[in-house]
Amino acid sequence: MPRYYQLESSDGIRYRIPREGQMRTDVVVYASAALLEHIKLDLSLEQAMNVATLPGIVGSSLAMPDIHQGYGFPIGGVAATDFEHGVVSPGGVGFDINCGVRLVRSGLTEQEVRPRLAELVEQVFQDVPCGTGGSGFVGVDQKQLEQVLVLGARWMVENGYGDRRDAEFAEAGGALDDADPRQVSEKAKKRGRPQLGTLGSGNHFLEIQYVETIHDDKAARAMGLQVGQVVVLIHSGSRGLGHQVCTDYLAQMGPAMKKYNITLPDRQLACVPIQSEEGQAYLGAMRAAANFAWANRQGIMHFLRRSFRKVFGAGARLELIYDVCHNIAKHERYEVDGKKRDVLVHRKGATRAYPPGHREIPLAYREVGQPVLIPGSMGTASWVLVGAEGAMRETFGSVCHGAGRLLSRTAAKKGRNAQEVKKKLEEMGIVVRSETRDGILEEIPEAYKDVDEVIEVVHRAGLARKVARLRPMGVIKG
Amino acid sequence: MFELLEHTADIGFRARARTLAELFETAAMALESIAVETEAIEPRQEYRLEATGEDHESLLVNWLSEVLYWMDGEQLAFHHFRVTEITATGVSGRGMGERRDPARHRAKLIVKAVTYHQLRVAETPEGWVAEVYLDI
Repeated sequence: MPRYYQLESSDGIRYRIPREGQMRTDVVVYASAALLEHIKLDLSLEQAMNVATLPGIVGSSLAMPDIHQGYGFPIGGVAATDFEHGVVSPGGVGFDINCGVRLVRSGLTEQEVRPRLAELVEQVFQDVPCGTGGSGFVGVDQKQLEQVLVLGARWMVENGYGDRRDAEFAEAGGALDDADPRQVSEKAKKRGRPQLGTLGSGNHFLEIQYVETIHDDKAARAMGLQVGQVVVLIHSGSRGLGHQVCTDYLAQMGPAMKKYNITLPDRQLACVPIQSEEGQAYLGAMRAAANFAWANRQGIMHFLRRSFRKVFGAGARLELIYDVCHNIAKHERYEVDGKKRDVLVHRKGATRAYPPGHREIPLAYREVGQPVLIPGSMGTASWVLVGAEGAMRETFGSVCHGAGRLLSRTAAKKGRNAQEVKKKLEEMGIVVRSETRDGILEEIPEAYKDVDEVIEVVHRAGLARKVARLRPMGVIKG
Repeated sequence: MFELLEHTADIGFRARARTLAELFETAAMALESIAVETEAIEPRQEYRLEATGEDHESLLVNWLSEVLYWMDGEQLAFHHFRVTEITATGVSGRGMGERRDPARHRAKLIVKAVTYHQLRVAETPEGWVAEVYLDI
């Protein structure tokens, strides 16, 4: 329910809601005054206040400028909990475990692609399954699926679904350690098996884009990006496997919370101690689902490569720039109040953003910082950023993950029809193909906040730096 | 009877029925019709469905999650549901339907999960009402 809260800011970019009631810490929101007015319209700040009640929370409950109302956690929320004494919350990761973004560069320019754009979009639409049709996916048997859950993108590469360098250019090398497939239910495996290498629906998409502007020459060079170049952004997650893992563990959390004497203001925030049997089981299953998601995005990229070769010939090469996840809980180490602390960072609709020099960044990018990929709405723009020092000091190495929704799906559809929207986008030079009619309407540009303003906030706050702005040409949606 | 509810990122529904058993049947049908075009689904086979919970709320979430599993994991399309037994902590019944045929049962939305967000199950003077939000 909406409730009264106080918002304080000294710099017009960091807004603080002081601790009150059951809260164990403050909420800090990164926003501009204009974005804040949008943010106040839904329950996202109330949800960030609820997150501040989690046992063992370290630092503040953080909200990124793209924050919007989610389930339990707001989408665009970050919370770190003490690794020894804190809790893990499956709702703090969400149903789409390791939903994330992968950016792929081509050797082609906008001028080369534009004349064959419709053909390319159609080809990609045919080759990359969205997962509603029940065919075209990467076929794996039960034993292979278990291996995928442990090895993630690396399994795909070893089995002919990618180049050797692909796994290296994904966050965590495309697989988290300590994944435990035994903690993933048979139901989750059954849901996931026919969905490996599929896009999904909702806000998931594949977008053919070109680099419009470069804001940091050195970082752009490291990523092999130049103005006019065609790139592809893939947004997908762990599909039914991850959704079922979250559902399974949420069902167990109620009784477990009674056992550990935890009471919370919102049932969807359900959590257990990280070091409990239930906490460890969830984390083992979550990591397995995260690995499935990296394998999934690798599979999609494999199909995408095939489409480009069909349209532009055998010489058309696609190379992975980077792959980041934005729904995850990870064991990381940060300095908090002058002391090194081991924490579990919950990123719910937030992206890791390590600054230059961090040893988990691939060597090719270590001098410039970790690439951060921010998809905007269909028809506007997406951004490439690099992580900056501010993120390590203030946000447990995290930034925003997108533009953030403004309109509900039902509101987006009201008074619009898919043909008109498609035509309007075509006039802007954007070709759209969608499996479902609603897919186009629900993701219209007007349904989202201004991605440029979101990016401006994290850039000015020193959490990440701008590298390149990307403009869409072709959109494939589930 | 059910109607759709708005949520910034997702979708919900409000279901009404005379009895708790009917409420669970209606809610399951709301879920099916949000995900798939239901006109061509035929009640060719019967599938047993069961769920448990600690209270009406978790019972409904677990029941709908079970239905969703059969839709997504077992690729079934349901024509209607019948609840044969319902208590405060358990529900059993069946779904009548057939194997999902993407050509005849076109996908509308891929539902990821059933959530506890603003979940409501209540008995009112007019009967039972439930509000449920789905992650999509």
